[in-house]
Amino acid sequence: MIKLSSLNRHECIRYLGDAKVEMNSKMEKLLDICEQEVLKNADPKYLYKEVPANIEELFEGNDIKNHLQGCNKAVIMCATLGNRIDNLIRKTQLLDMAKAVVLDSFASVAIEQVCCSVDEMIAEKYTKKYLTFRFSPGYGDFPISLQKQFLNILDAPRKIGLCTNDNFLLTPTKSVTAVVGISDKEIEQRKRGCAVCSLKGSCRYRKAGSHCGF
Amino acid sequence: MDFKSLLLEKEFIMLDGAMGTMLQKAGLPLGEMPEILCVTHNEQITDIHKQYINAGSDIIYTNTFGANSYKLKNSGYTVNDIISSAVKAAKKAAENTDTLVALDIGPVGQLLEPTGSLSFEEAYNIFKEQIVAGKDADIIVFETMTDLLEIKAAVLAAKENSDKPIICTMTFEENKRTFTGVCVSSMAITLSGLGVDAIGVNCSLGPEELLPIVEEMSFWTNLPIVVKPNAGLPDPNSNTYDVVPKDFTKSIIKMLEFGVKFTGGCCGTTPEYIKELSSELKKEKFKRIVNEKKSVICSASTTVLIDQPRIIGERINPTGKKLFKEALKNNDMNYILNQAVSQVQGGANILDVNVGLPEIDEKAMMVRTVKALQSVVDVPLQIDSTKPDVIEAGLRIYNGKAIINSVNGEEKSLESILPLAKKYGASVVGLTLDENGIPKTAQGRFDIAKRIVERAEQYGIGREDIFIDCLTLTASAEQEGVMQTLKALHRVKTEIGCRTVLGVSNISFGLPNRELVNSTFLTMALQEGLDLPIINPNIESMTGAVKAYKVLANIDENSRSFIESYNEFTPNKNIDNISDHDINYAVINGLKEEGAKATEELLQNIDAMDIINDKLIPALDKVGEDFEKGKIFLPQLIQSANTAQACFDVIKKKLTAENNIAVSKGKIILATVKGDIHDIGKNIVKVLLDNYGYTVFDLGRDVDPQLIVDTAIKHDIKMIGLSALMTTTLKSMEDTITLVRNTKELQNPDGSSKCIVFVGGAVLTKDYAMKIGADYYCKDAKESVDTAKKVLG
Repeated sequence: MIKLSSLNRHECIRYLGDAKVEMNSKMEKLLDICEQEVLKNADPKYLYKEVPANIEELFEGNDIKNHLQGCNKAVIMCATLGNRIDNLIRKTQLLDMAKAVVLDSFASVAIEQVCCSVDEMIAEKYTKKYLTFRFSPGYGDFPISLQKQFLNILDAPRKIGLCTNDNFLLTPTKSVTAVVGISDKEIEQRKRGCAVCSLKGSCRYRKAGSHCGF
Repeated sequence: MDFKSLLLEKEFIMLDGAMGTMLQKAGLPLGEMPEILCVTHNEQITDIHKQYINAGSDIIYTNTFGANSYKLKNSGYTVNDIISSAVKAAKKAAENTDTLVALDIGPVGQLLEPTGSLSFEEAYNIFKEQIVAGKDADIIVFETMTDLLEIKAAVLAAKENSDKPIICTMTFEENKRTFTGVCVSSMAITLSGLGVDAIGVNCSLGPEELLPIVEEMSFWTNLPIVVKPNAGLPDPNSNTYDVVPKDFTKSIIKMLEFGVKFTGGCCGTTPEYIKELSSELKKEKFKRIVNEKKSVICSASTTVLIDQPRIIGERINPTGKKLFKEALKNNDMNYILNQAVSQVQGGANILDVNVGLPEIDEKAMMVRTVKALQSVVDVPLQIDSTKPDVIEAGLRIYNGKAIINSVNGEEKSLESILPLAKKYGASVVGLTLDENGIPKTAQGRFDIAKRIVERAEQYGIGREDIFIDCLTLTASAEQEGVMQTLKALHRVKTEIGCRTVLGVSNISFGLPNRELVNSTFLTMALQEGLDLPIINPNIESMTGAVKAYKVLANIDENSRSFIESYNEFTPNKNIDNISDHDINYAVINGLKEEGAKATEELLQNIDAMDIINDKLIPALDKVGEDFEKGKIFLPQLIQSANTAQACFDVIKKKLTAENNIAVSKGKIILATVKGDIHDIGKNIVKVLLDNYGYTVFDLGRDVDPQLIVDTAIKHDIKMIGLSALMTTTLKSMEDTITLVRNTKELQNPDGSSKCIVFVGGAVLTKDYAMKIGADYYCKDAKESVDTAKKVLG
């Protein structure tokens, strides 16, 4: 079980726009409240499973193949904050849009933190191996439609209530699917970066001359 | 043997164990869909069924858990292929035995609205197809369900397309909720009301962990209970289960005192478990549970027991409300939802929902409203209409056990409404009037109440589900009638034993200081036994009267709730002392109340449009500019916009009161495109456009292109904003734009488009926006406002 005890505020502020903005006490207070509400309503659940790294129908596209190069195994994973967070954000949008936006950002921070915890678990399990970073359907030319297969293999609809809709979007929405490559030999440390990002060309961070941090 | 005699003859009914575990053991090829094995390896499936029958199963489940059209898409098999082979395989195994075959149906595999995008109606059709394909089975089983609305769709599909017995089991977590938040009580109440034959739990936990859930379930139902646990909790590393048959059986025996009649195993269990269980249960006796009858209603996540006064909020009703009527005509769901949320915050336990207006399609509106309401509030709903078809439409998609408002003593009403209450397992308000009108005397109303209860009981509806309304008359017109109402109420409560309901506010029509009269009457009625006052919960003196009554009647133990409500209460809170701030200051700092107050004061001397153009818009522009320059955050921009909204509301109210035309700078449609469910960005744009004085027709998310076109035509709208968050849904955006451009009614005589389309969303670029035929690309909410200004002024 993963229990979140605090959320990365710096990240949240970055999602909200620009870290250069000066905080005032009203914003600080709003962030405090929203962090607590997200922590209270998040119900993190995850699943992962080892599969061979050469399953053609699962690892479609050049980017994922490059990513898994040199790996003989891969771990596919999924994680979700559950339904309550979606309900909370939906309801809050009616009452207080400003708060809803902050909740939404904190929820994005929270699911990323959950994924990092899963990363650590996987790393612990494969202590003598070399691992790639997490690569998700939708990055580069790795089709987002594979999310459905990932969830099926992990039995995620039944085990943690995580599904896709007809357009392969995850429901509940604050959820992630990803692959981590496993290799016996040291692998060239591939960096996450703009080159494999699906937002290439439209990213607001790049437009502002900065970087999303990955 | 049939199901009925099985129930009568057997002390306990043995189900089977896991199918997946057995398939694995048999070394069958495990692809993504084990159901396909029914076609490709029919004999082996029969063999697994036989093993369970030999171990003692009275009922075996077909291997059809995921055999629905959604999951089988692209599999090369139809639902009928799989299900008919599966039933054949099971029937063959059961040949020459008393074993019954249950058609096994699991969740669709896609979440229903509001979290997902599958509609109730689509889910119904998916289940219907499975049920029809499984016509040769003896029983229908729905299992591993986590969404109450999904299982309701399934049960209705079964009831309306077959006459087989129905068994329902849902899957709970250790916190006694399902993934979607359904609580045990709501599940038991709703499914018992729908008239299924047995309910229970399966999967997710081992038998030891399921005990508290089964215990709670048995408190809320008299139906036989089903328990089909996993063989313990799965080991996170090996994914195996660790409870052995002996311990498994011991844990199940501990649950027998809670009315367990059906039992078997889920993941990890094998014929060994069933054998052990079935032989040990021979030494035990079934314990039938007979609970005291309860007056209770629920939503999926909240159960309201009517064992003390509960407030029904009355404000979702257009009668006498201009703004509400306007909202209904414009399909403005947010207005209605705000009414709902504020009533719940005010203290409503239940919300009455009436959307009747001559000019609109009431049935469609009821469906839309109930769906929207249950996506944002947790309290149960009371479906209020004079039309049986509207009531039925609302009950059908309601996620829980609702109240119908209402039936009366007229035969025509009784015979159209009571069957609906029975079919959907709803409670019903009974009005003490009939074809001769409202009886003047308490005796007359009491007699009608009695008649309603008798007729309801003939339909199989218990009196615990009938809430009698003895009808409030206006004190100023019929002063002597007031005590008649209260007398009738008292007699209904004590002599018939029904719960009582009363709309309170009518009492004071035509009198000054209505609030005082209302709260006094409410207190009198509570003392006579009123259970369900229908009031405006946002009027403090009314909600307060109920709270105070509960203290004095020794219901609110140690006055805990009362103290919680009023500990920090300061009567007549006012904000007069901050009125020296001006609108400009309030908007820039996001101070809603101050902004509204300042607007009220300004309106006394300055024209409404001047306030908008000279004060509000410049203040908003300043905030927008700061946002663009990175001086303030998005939430601050929104807070400022909301403050402007509060100012606009004050202006709007004044103009509506003076019967002036509403202030609007123009109409705009907003929608998140078909298939996309990420709508927060679109909602931010809506807030800003609202606050700049535009009239926004917000069509929501996952919106069909045709609805956008229809709305544009119907309301003569020239500006359309579309959002899409994912690369996969950009195609929908393109399709929508194409449809707008190709629709004749939205073209000028020369064939050019009348509509201006602006688009936005995380993955969109300006180039792409132009490529798919948009007129404008807006990178954020602020730019959307700038575009609206450019286009509409």
